[in-house]
Amino acid sequence: MAGSALRRLMAEYKQLTLDPPEGIVAGPISEDNFFEWEALIAGPEGTCFEGGVFPARLVFPPDYPLSPPKMKFTCDMFHPNIFADGRVCISILHAPGDDPMGYELSAERWSPVQSVEKILLSVVSMLAEPNDESGANVDAAIMWRERREEFNSIARRLVRKTLGLPQ
Amino acid sequence: MQLLISSVCMALTSAVIGYAYYQKQQFYPAVVYITKSNASMGVIYIQFFVIVLMFAKLLRKIFLGTLRAAEFEHLLERFWYALTETCLAFTVFRDDFNPRFVALFTVLLFLKSFHWLAEERVDFMERSPVLGWLFHIRVGSLLTMLGILDYVLLMHAYNSTLVRGPTVQLVFGFEYAILLTVIASTAIKYVLHAAEMRTDTPWENKAVFLLYTELVIGLIKVVLYILFVVIMAKIYALPMFVFRPMFFTIRNFRKALNDVIMSRRAIRNMNTLYPDATPEELRQSDNICIICREDMVNHSKKLPCGHIFHTTCLRSWFQRQQTCPTCRLNILRTPAVNSTAMPRAADDAAAAGAAAAPGNAAPAAAGAQPAAAAPVAVAPGGDANQGRGNNPLPPSFAELFGDTNGLPNLAGMMTPPPPVMPMLPPFMMPPQLVYFTPPPLPPPPMPQDLTKFTIEELRAMEGHQREQIEQRLKLLRNINLMLDSAGIMMSQYQSLAASLQLNSVPATTAAAAAAAPASAPSSDVAPGSSAAYDKPSTSAMARAQLEEEAAAHQVNATAAAAVEKVTIEDLGADEDDVPSTATETVSLVSTSEADFDENSSELGELRKRRLKFLEERNKSSTSAE
Repeated sequence: MAGSALRRLMAEYKQLTLDPPEGIVAGPISEDNFFEWEALIAGPEGTCFEGGVFPARLVFPPDYPLSPPKMKFTCDMFHPNIFADGRVCISILHAPGDDPMGYELSAERWSPVQSVEKILLSVVSMLAEPNDESGANVDAAIMWRERREEFNSIARRLVRKTLGLPQ
Repeated sequence: MQLLISSVCMALTSAVIGYAYYQKQQFYPAVVYITKSNASMGVIYIQFFVIVLMFAKLLRKIFLGTLRAAEFEHLLERFWYALTETCLAFTVFRDDFNPRFVALFTVLLFLKSFHWLAEERVDFMERSPVLGWLFHIRVGSLLTMLGILDYVLLMHAYNSTLVRGPTVQLVFGFEYAILLTVIASTAIKYVLHAAEMRTDTPWENKAVFLLYTELVIGLIKVVLYILFVVIMAKIYALPMFVFRPMFFTIRNFRKALNDVIMSRRAIRNMNTLYPDATPEELRQSDNICIICREDMVNHSKKLPCGHIFHTTCLRSWFQRQQTCPTCRLNILRTPAVNSTAMPRAADDAAAAGAAAAPGNAAPAAAGAQPAAAAPVAVAPGGDANQGRGNNPLPPSFAELFGDTNGLPNLAGMMTPPPPVMPMLPPFMMPPQLVYFTPPPLPPPPMPQDLTKFTIEELRAMEGHQREQIEQRLKLLRNINLMLDSAGIMMSQYQSLAASLQLNSVPATTAAAAAAAPASAPSSDVAPGSSAAYDKPSTSAMARAQLEEEAAAHQVNATAAAAVEKVTIEDLGADEDDVPSTATETVSLVSTSEADFDENSSELGELRKRRLKFLEERNKSSTSAE
């Protein structure tokens, strides 16, 4: 019998493969290492990210699901809640106790009840509705708030870039 | 690249040796020539290191195969730290500095790297899906070899220190002792992991064993480091080069100690406060532990909020946080009485609440799917409570109850939420608003089992055995629950009536008499608090109203008690003593309902008393029979 973290990740992988949520594909990069996953997230319809497919990488700690995984987009992203290096900043990925932004409710934090699927769904909704109060990328947050048109055009350019289309 | 370096080294060395031999023509003069020339010695030293490196690679190939990227990264990082520390150590022993000394340090570093790699490999065991025989053979032989080498070198250092007094061998002796502890802990971990892999079921106590291993090894290491620092400070100088590892060791030890304490506390709490989930409860829930996503067959615990998890999963979570993983109820603040006093009827409602809670607790998480998830999640409770299905709880509801009074079960099992809501925030809700949105008031959840008692159920309740008594107690609890809900509804009727400012007393009393239990004592006990529900503007009116009601209810209370008595008799409870119990229960319930908002501890106290009373009565009745 393998470790509990591994078993849980295997169970989640199976679940995600059998019954994938719309617009999300995720799985381990290699079957030898279940602790590093790659995910593809489709930009939500009706938003400036529509049509894009954004690759991200999830790294799970050895004590998953007691601690949350880390998530990082591997493509260029311009979004109020994504750091310039691609790290995603949403409360569900923060363990209760540490509060990098100083305002998150503990009810929104990580708990073993959460799962990869829920994380990715939260990321999709984060793409659709940025939270401009948590400034992982302050420039993006200001632009989102004040110059929406400019933000949208940058987002559309990124969408084309992820698809490998001429810009 | 590596190949290039090693071949360049080879070429240089052969050039140096060839040149010396060509010059001197004989073996001995050539050796003398090389040792005399600094440049030649430099080349020879470099060649020596390259050979060591190649040897290391060979050993790695044999014992470890290819390294994973993470392993290599960690190795490199630790290697550089160790190298700087070694250089620091050289400064202390600058008098003994000679090639032999450098060679000894090289061997030490060499062995250390293999210890780190072995550690990483064993830690990775738990995370790798498939492990062949090759892995076990490799790790086993590597650990044995390293252990023997450590021991031999430690003994050598010890003997030489005894014979020649304290020299640099002291440092080596100490380093190998530390490495021995590393090997010991790695070996223990390996045995634990391997033992778990052999079984088909998860081994529950493994985590505890691991914790204690960490603690003991950490303690040994800390003691070793302190001893070493003291000895070194006495003989040479303060050994700067062990400060960094010592700091990390002490930190790890503190963490291990903390973990053990937290884990013990969690275990104690679980053993004393929370009941094991019964097979029945497991069947009613979906039977999957949401922490590990596996079936719960045995060893699962039920928290006061009604959520069920594996004992081991809960233990490891409680080590970090003392909250329910699903609803984040703080389990330490919740009185334990609730878990024992929880009626069975509440279970499915609580289970429904459990299913609904993730959506509530993490609205951000469920952002994309709440519309779909909420009705489905609530559905199981629908048949128990007709009002629930179309009225999913607002997110704040569970939190309010969970945080302030520790009564999530009450919240879950009470009459449908809509009537409760206007009562909950009475301060914020002006009476007019209540008037415009009259809450639908469905009848209290009526004893469905009253008419559908099967023969088995009846039989289950007669007799003197423990099970029968339990059955009866359970039934009494159900009745209790209904009374509680009636009480809550009553207070709503009351506040509604007060806000409507009805003038006709008979109408109010009629309404009150319909569900009398709560109103009489509540207006007796806490007229002030009831009046406080309303805004000051209406409070005078309300108080007058209440006083009228109070007078009327005193009369009605006995009638209500009679009604209750009939119900209980019909339900098949014990015949003797019923009237007194019924009234007792009713008054207790209603009092508790009146104080419900103000003082949860009092409520707990009352519940305790009531339960004790019921138990005693049951005992006496069985003995009478």
